[in-house]
Amino acid sequence: MILPPVPPAFYLVLSGILFTIGVIGALTRRNAIVVFMCIELMLNSVNLSFITFSRFLQSIEGVLFAFFIIAVAAAEAAVGLAIFVMLYRSKETINVDEVNLLKW
Amino acid sequence: MLVEYFTIGIFIAIAIAFACFAVLASHFLGQRKPSAIKQAPYECGMTTVGSSFRRVPIKYYIIAMLFLIFDIEVVFLYPWAVVFKEYRVFAFVSMAVFLGILILAYIYIWKKGALEWE
Amino acid sequence: METIGTILQWLIFLGMAFTSILASVLLITRKNPIHSALFLILNFLCVAVIYLLLYSQFIAIIQVLVYAGAIVMLIVFVIMLLDLEEELRSRLKLFYSKVIGSVLAVLFLFGLIYGLVATSPTGKTGSYTAEKMSANVKAVGEALFNQYLFPFEVVSILLVVAIIGAVILSKRKLS
Repeated sequence: MILPPVPPAFYLVLSGILFTIGVIGALTRRNAIVVFMCIELMLNSVNLSFITFSRFLQSIEGVLFAFFIIAVAAAEAAVGLAIFVMLYRSKETINVDEVNLLKW
Repeated sequence: MLVEYFTIGIFIAIAIAFACFAVLASHFLGQRKPSAIKQAPYECGMTTVGSSFRRVPIKYYIIAMLFLIFDIEVVFLYPWAVVFKEYRVFAFVSMAVFLGILILAYIYIWKKGALEWE
Repeated sequence: METIGTILQWLIFLGMAFTSILASVLLITRKNPIHSALFLILNFLCVAVIYLLLYSQFIAIIQVLVYAGAIVMLIVFVIMLLDLEEELRSRLKLFYSKVIGSVLAVLFLFGLIYGLVATSPTGKTGSYTAEKMSANVKAVGEALFNQYLFPFEVVSILLVVAIIGAVILSKRKLS
């Protein structure tokens, strides 16, 4: 019996599972920073599927996409966390269900 | 190629095993006689004041944020340095544009006083 | 030798996959946000090892440097800055909407897996074979300075905007 190398579907299923866990976390948690971490988790799982396709279709595009996604995630982290700090200074909370000024 | 990482894997496995061994050995071999004074938090021999969890000033956040952004910049320098010998002037000019735009941000934060530690 | 390599690949993949799934489940269930941040680091490190399995050393290094290093450090700083205690009980009764949201997310996952099983991923195969990808940073650099020159320059504008936005937000005095 010969064992084949890990097929691409396994990596993609792992990426899908991580993405789903990130979605569940972003939907169920109330702390804005934990929601933010779940969004980072989702970005990371998308990166994983980009790299998987890049490897199995033998192209470099996926790697560059992942690279740019990491740069965008860093910019997003800098601004997003600054927004959380401002939110906490003005409202004394960062629970997402208590920040409902624009909700109708 | 994975074989090259295999040695790193062995190294990491030995490091983790050693750390676990040290902690577990001291856990099972050492003897402990806990008392109220020994369990108390230690702060230079003084009695502790307040909670151990206190808010940090925002200037730490600004420094950490600037570190993150310039970390990204350095990450972009890495593939540039690898291909620099083949592209020479072209690579130099494109990286000069990239760094020139980022220097605008650097001048901005300098003038704004975000780098000062008042 | 080949079979040993394949067995090792399977072992590393399965170990890292289970560890990363476990870490992300713990991330969304811990009450203390510092613990969540530590499990996020564990998850990123496991995914970095999987990138190594996919012959993508450059992204693995960047994953550790930027994600597990800088971004999570910033998150931990903000948690310390805000003095967040554990999540308090909500006055709102959100239990049913949480259950419905989770069920929908799991259905989404089943849809993804079904799509994956029903149709094998197709696409034109490029020229970057495993041998060429072993000089990963060089390949990335060449693509970066040929096809992706303009996005590369635009990233610097994005970073400038991020710096200016974050500095304005965090230096502002509250009236």
